[in-house]
Amino acid sequence: MTDRKDFLTREKFMEELYRYKKGSVTRRHFLGVTGLGLATSVLGSAVPGLRGAAFAQGSIGDRVVLATWPNYHDPANFEAFTAATGAAVDMNVFGSNEEMLAKLQAGGSGWDIVVATNYAIPTYVETGLIEPLDLSRIPNFDPSAYDPRFASPGVIEGKTYGIPRNLGTTGYCINTADLEGGATPTTWKEYWDLTRGALSGRVIVHDYQLTAIGNALKYFGYSFNSVDPAELAEAEKLLIEAKPHLFAITSDYQPSMRSGDAAMSMCWTGDAVQLQRDIPEIAYVLGKEGGELWSDFFTVPASAPHKDAAYALINFLLDPQIGAKEQAFHGYPTGDSRVDALMPEEVLKDPVLYPAAELLSALEFGAAVTLTDPTRAEIMARFKAA
Amino acid sequence: MQRQGLRTWLFLAPAGAWFLCMLVLPLIVVFVFAFGERGAAGGYVPAFTFENFANLGARWTAFQNTMILAPVGTLACLLIAYPLAYFLALRASVRWRTLLLILVIVPFWTSILIRSYAWIYLLGGQGIPSLVKAMGLGSIRLINTPFSVLVGIVYGYLPLMVFPIYVALERLDKRLLEASSDLGSPPWRSFLQVTLPLSMPGVATGCMLVFILLMGEFLIPALLGGGKVFFIGNALVDLFLQSRNWPFGAAVAVALVLVMLVTVAAYLRFTRRWAGGRDDVSLM
Amino acid sequence: MRIYALAVYLFLYIPIGVIALFSFNAGRHAAQFQGFSAQWYGKALSNPFVVDAFQTSLIVALTSAVLATLFGTMAAMALQSVKGRLRVAFDALIYIAVMVPGIVIGIATLIALVTLFDWLNPLLAAVWPLAEGAPQLSLGYGSLIAAHGLFAMALVIIIVRARMAGMDRSLVEASADLGATPWGTFRQVTLPQIFPGILAGFLLAFTFSFDDFIIAFFVAGSQTTLPVYVFSSIRRGVTPEINAIGTMVLAVSLLMLVTAQAILQRGRKAG
Repeated sequence: MTDRKDFLTREKFMEELYRYKKGSVTRRHFLGVTGLGLATSVLGSAVPGLRGAAFAQGSIGDRVVLATWPNYHDPANFEAFTAATGAAVDMNVFGSNEEMLAKLQAGGSGWDIVVATNYAIPTYVETGLIEPLDLSRIPNFDPSAYDPRFASPGVIEGKTYGIPRNLGTTGYCINTADLEGGATPTTWKEYWDLTRGALSGRVIVHDYQLTAIGNALKYFGYSFNSVDPAELAEAEKLLIEAKPHLFAITSDYQPSMRSGDAAMSMCWTGDAVQLQRDIPEIAYVLGKEGGELWSDFFTVPASAPHKDAAYALINFLLDPQIGAKEQAFHGYPTGDSRVDALMPEEVLKDPVLYPAAELLSALEFGAAVTLTDPTRAEIMARFKAA
Repeated sequence: MQRQGLRTWLFLAPAGAWFLCMLVLPLIVVFVFAFGERGAAGGYVPAFTFENFANLGARWTAFQNTMILAPVGTLACLLIAYPLAYFLALRASVRWRTLLLILVIVPFWTSILIRSYAWIYLLGGQGIPSLVKAMGLGSIRLINTPFSVLVGIVYGYLPLMVFPIYVALERLDKRLLEASSDLGSPPWRSFLQVTLPLSMPGVATGCMLVFILLMGEFLIPALLGGGKVFFIGNALVDLFLQSRNWPFGAAVAVALVLVMLVTVAAYLRFTRRWAGGRDDVSLM
Repeated sequence: MRIYALAVYLFLYIPIGVIALFSFNAGRHAAQFQGFSAQWYGKALSNPFVVDAFQTSLIVALTSAVLATLFGTMAAMALQSVKGRLRVAFDALIYIAVMVPGIVIGIATLIALVTLFDWLNPLLAAVWPLAEGAPQLSLGYGSLIAAHGLFAMALVIIIVRARMAGMDRSLVEASADLGATPWGTFRQVTLPQIFPGILAGFLLAFTFSFDDFIIAFFVAGSQTTLPVYVFSSIRRGVTPEINAIGTMVLAVSLLMLVTAQAILQRGRKAG
């Protein structure tokens, strides 16, 4: 593959990988020998001559484009990747899987990696928008390090389409300073009542049908995933009633929560961690009625123009050291036991990240049907246009 | 004569072909799609149904917002632009006039996106409202309201209104004003009876330009309305880029184009009569 | 009156001042000023996505403006001698092109082209004689240029036609009487008279394309124009890099404006 001495051949690489998997060499040895992981990034940035050549596969091109979520990546890790490989990273940020799907369907998105949520993967596979992954190109991926509950949605009919990225829950964050002494709420019912009451004008709802409608359904105690027309009609009524009391409909709520414009917002775990870091008064509430439990996956679209770079970046981000840095930045658990081993104990005990069992058992994974259900799509559109 | 005809055809052919392929055909496709059905995962499936048009009522609020904020925004632009254009054309010294005019367009040369984004900051909690609070005038909310969208509109489209009015005023025969004042009219009467009527063509052109652009506006409400002030343009983007309902989106697009054509035709008729049958009320 | 004008200018320039000020922010947050630094300019200029988006915008704007100006001027000239139904049809097309909102043009072009490509690509693959596989038609430069050029061409026709209406026809007749060829007449008599209109049309066409977001948002496919890039950056959470881009675009625009003004001025003096 290359005549340079400091690179492994593909055969040697696979042999090392095999040895590592068998457990006959340590991870550190494996990473050291293969030149992957942190060693790569340090070397790559220290020795400019290595730029663009640090990956054994040879040149991976000069760029890679991700479709992903707000506040979900540590820019420093991307910079390290660029320093190591010469490929610059660009992100297109979206507020919902529906938006990503629409852009993919309209053709020519130009994305190399799509960070998709569990419930979107079956549709992507059915419509041929993503392709099965070549796991030999992602040596840092170790399926046995993941809880099957979170990793299995990435596997369809025995083929791996998605590599687990992060997992978390969808609850809401509330700035308790704005409650003026009132007790911190614990349910979705209180979220919607506060919206139309004490916190009117200062509440944010996701621009995302799954969570906006799902958590409105929870007000009535229905399933988060319901596609029953009668139940959805009730949820729509609640949403439309709440609309005049909202501050905004957006999935990027951190700026408004930070500036104090908003007092309460539907919220993903990591965002709550990031907010709490700077504003300790912000509490994260998992509604007692339930709500969403999710896992996100790296997927590679069939139309990806820079597949080599896509594989290299996924592999890079799966390095446990990098994974730990990512989690330190964005707060979302990776679900990777190798990363957990590197996390400080207080993180592993954080009730926001690892909720109590009785709260967790009430949660539901998003169902694939909600992604394409025309009624839910139309209710969301009507809610926004109301 | 034959050669002349051939040349005319050759000269018209590229423009004609371009109009045909990129305007007429796509609009026909939109029209046809408006009678179709949404596919299982979104998109379009051929069908013949009027259901999409029957559902238009579900976007009534967006139509209403557009039909209110587009004229109000146009009017606000006019009220702010007219005195400025008047000052530039009739009061500013000739030496400074060109520079001052250029200064009106310069903001127009940065992306409207970046300019609107500046307003997100200025109108957000840490901007003007925090100033107002510091002055002890209570707390106000500006961002994500119709007002913030209106500010964005005026800011974005002011130059488009200033220029046609300036041109009309600049062309105005100054002797008419002198005559009026010699005949003993007070300045306000000269303004009402001479200046204002003669600047009407410019006013009509400016209003037309701004109004047309506002009817299809998407960015300003998206950035400064926070999903709370929705225009038809936003509803359209939503239908294509989120709920993936192409046929319904096509029906909304058809409705928007029809509303515009009717409004603009009525407006042209009205302004022509108003401007005393003059024919120089045009788009440019 | 003067105070009023000053107030309007302040209204116009305060947001721009804010953008420019924050482009020199040392910190990464857009909302808090943490000291003076020009680092974001360096970052923006060395960011391949910014450079690429700028390049794409420039190519699209130049190509569409050149084509629109050429075809638009040709059509405007030909339309002078056209009457009857053809004239009515063209007037209607120009009217519609200007009237239909950009958002509808964007959506219409998107769905028409995506449908056409879905239908053509398998056909193309079936008849392709070579082994390597047929090229896939997709959205990109072509669709961007075609969609931007459409509106621009309508603008050029309107402007050039207005200019021609004010032109002295007797000069053309005199030139023909003196034995000049039609081409000679065009070059020496017509062109100098309508040139300011053509230039104005070209500049407007260029500006329109360079600044357009909504049409590009739909038809750009995997290409990214500068406004599309800026839009996705704003959504991603703003760093002063965007302010730096905005300030640079403004500076470049100003430079072009001054150059254009200088050219016009010289042209006027020479004429």
